[in-house]
Amino acid sequence: MRADSAKLDHGIGAAVAGNDFGPISRLRRSGRVVRELGRVLLADAYGRVGVGILVFFLVLAIIAPTLAPMDPWANNYRANGSLARLDGPSWHHPLGTTFYGQDVLSQLLLGTRQTMLVGFVTAVLIGFIGTNVGLVAGYSGRITDDVLMRVTDFFYAIPFLPFMIVMVALIGRSLPVIIASMAFIFWRTAARVVRAQVLTLRTRPYVLAARASGAGHLRIMYVHILPNVLPLGFLYLIFGAAWAILTESSLSFIGLGDPNHLSWGLMLNQAFVTGSIRYAWWWVIPPGLALMTFLASLYFLGRGLEERANPRLRDHP
Amino acid sequence: MSRPAGEMMRAPLPALRVIRAGSALARARTGTPMRRYIFRRLLQNAFLLWVLTSMMFLLFRVLPGDPVSIILSAELSEESRQSIRDAWGLSRPLWSQYVTYILNVVHGEFGISFQYQKPVWDVLGDKVVNTLVLMIPSTAAAVVLGILAGMYFGWRRGSRLERLGVLLPPIIRGLPVFWLGILLLMAFSYGLNWFPNGGMRSMGTFVTSRWQLFFSWDFLWHLTLPFLCMTITSLPEPMLIMRSSLLETKGEDYLELIEAKGVSEWVVLKHAARGSLLPVMTWVFHMFGYAMASTVVIEIVFAWPGLGREIVNAVNAYDYPVIQAAFFLISAIIISLNLLMDLLYGFLDPRVVVQ
Repeated sequence: MRADSAKLDHGIGAAVAGNDFGPISRLRRSGRVVRELGRVLLADAYGRVGVGILVFFLVLAIIAPTLAPMDPWANNYRANGSLARLDGPSWHHPLGTTFYGQDVLSQLLLGTRQTMLVGFVTAVLIGFIGTNVGLVAGYSGRITDDVLMRVTDFFYAIPFLPFMIVMVALIGRSLPVIIASMAFIFWRTAARVVRAQVLTLRTRPYVLAARASGAGHLRIMYVHILPNVLPLGFLYLIFGAAWAILTESSLSFIGLGDPNHLSWGLMLNQAFVTGSIRYAWWWVIPPGLALMTFLASLYFLGRGLEERANPRLRDHP
Repeated sequence: MSRPAGEMMRAPLPALRVIRAGSALARARTGTPMRRYIFRRLLQNAFLLWVLTSMMFLLFRVLPGDPVSIILSAELSEESRQSIRDAWGLSRPLWSQYVTYILNVVHGEFGISFQYQKPVWDVLGDKVVNTLVLMIPSTAAAVVLGILAGMYFGWRRGSRLERLGVLLPPIIRGLPVFWLGILLLMAFSYGLNWFPNGGMRSMGTFVTSRWQLFFSWDFLWHLTLPFLCMTITSLPEPMLIMRSSLLETKGEDYLELIEAKGVSEWVVLKHAARGSLLPVMTWVFHMFGYAMASTVVIEIVFAWPGLGREIVNAVNAYDYPVIQAAFFLISAIIISLNLLMDLLYGFLDPRVVVQ
């Protein structure tokens, strides 16, 4: 019964195992996979919305330094020389200032980069570990599969946020530590789902044909099977990025994030611990709204992919 | 829903399959399968807890290097350092330290808290209950509401309400739990002044027992906002799973058969829902890890005196015994809840027992 849950972790993601991307037996054709993926994403309304918001934030992250009106860490002063503490929105500070007189808009813009960085790096790590574990487990079967899946089960038993709190307490509040601990735990989902998919692929005629014509195990795994699980891996890359961003911002919010990296979670942490949430809506609303919009765009993207993969979920059958 | 008649009887009806498996079990039951099942699950979960505890031992012993240099002042002489190491048993071989450690954990001995200067259990004992009192009701509410909403959205697919409704899960899933908490505080505590801004009871309330505290209006008044926050953010998963599961069940033949009997739509829905519950139940096994993560964050936002708030305080105070014990207790809570679900599941669906 636990094997069933492979498809169901993170709520959705069900039945992607039966995707209709078709068998593609050459790695050099993976360009086709990418193009197919783009087509699938843009064909769906949810996918289009997701891609749109994602691109918007990506562009924002790239041009953030030129766009940000001032240094996000600098303490600003009013005309009379006093610290611009918790000033409401004005021409000079479109989103007001923080408790320390910093410009909220500049912090918000620079925070975009941090969010992207955390999401992207963690997702790539998760995808790399998870896909490989799932591929090896699903293809090898027998004892290897059993052992790898028990290990995966164990990682499901680790309470992830408390574990990260412990890691931060033991090693230090730095971004590499946080990203590494997230990757250390979150590969589990990708591994399970990819394994389930590989199990359905390993006995397909084209794999047997490759086997019969003398292809080695490694070649079959990485040249013949991998391209067919990549779309699924990509879906869980998206979910992984969303989880990573949410977890990192939670950690920053409870004050255990990297204090040297300006993230939306850190902004909300400062607004909270200084007691400013009572007065300064301009400091509270923007970072949370940005976080929510960005994460929602990732889930919309994932949903678009899923609707495609599982026709029963499609809105217009 | 029109299909060739020949296809109708293609597969045995799922409901029948269940009955058959159930009666087979009933015939074979001499008390042993269920007992064996319970025993196996107990053993599996105890093993998990042991592995987690050992991992903690390794992390705490290996990662920070020398515990003495973290905890004590750097100005101590080498001799006094050595004497402290001897006194704490740190100069003994690692395996012997490990055995002592496991024995201590089994006995509930987690050492002395650095910041409170009293046994760790005295610090954390109450906090376990406080965390559970927040986590269990809100998760249960989320599962029930999620299943109902999922049933509605799956059954009434294509309706106007459903079209709007399916937009909600991705948005709620992206909603950071701490931000929702802050918004609730801004609106209902600071703005409207309807609810308190944190804590578990009002200043000056005097209670003589835990029961008196948990069953007072004052406590429920304090619980409302954290409960809402937790329930809302846990809704999307059960809802999405129930919806997609129901959509799959809708095409099943046995529903068509029930429909053909001319019973009301509600009866058909009831049958469909029962057939779609399995994936939701499977998800419940993974739910507690996520629920615990939310609880930690919510405890910070609403100043709820639970395990999560305590572990964060301990990190800020470098109180390693408390961090270690809190992590152990959190793991133990999650593993026990999973075990409980496992056993409940065994009673609800006897098929898993015989496997």
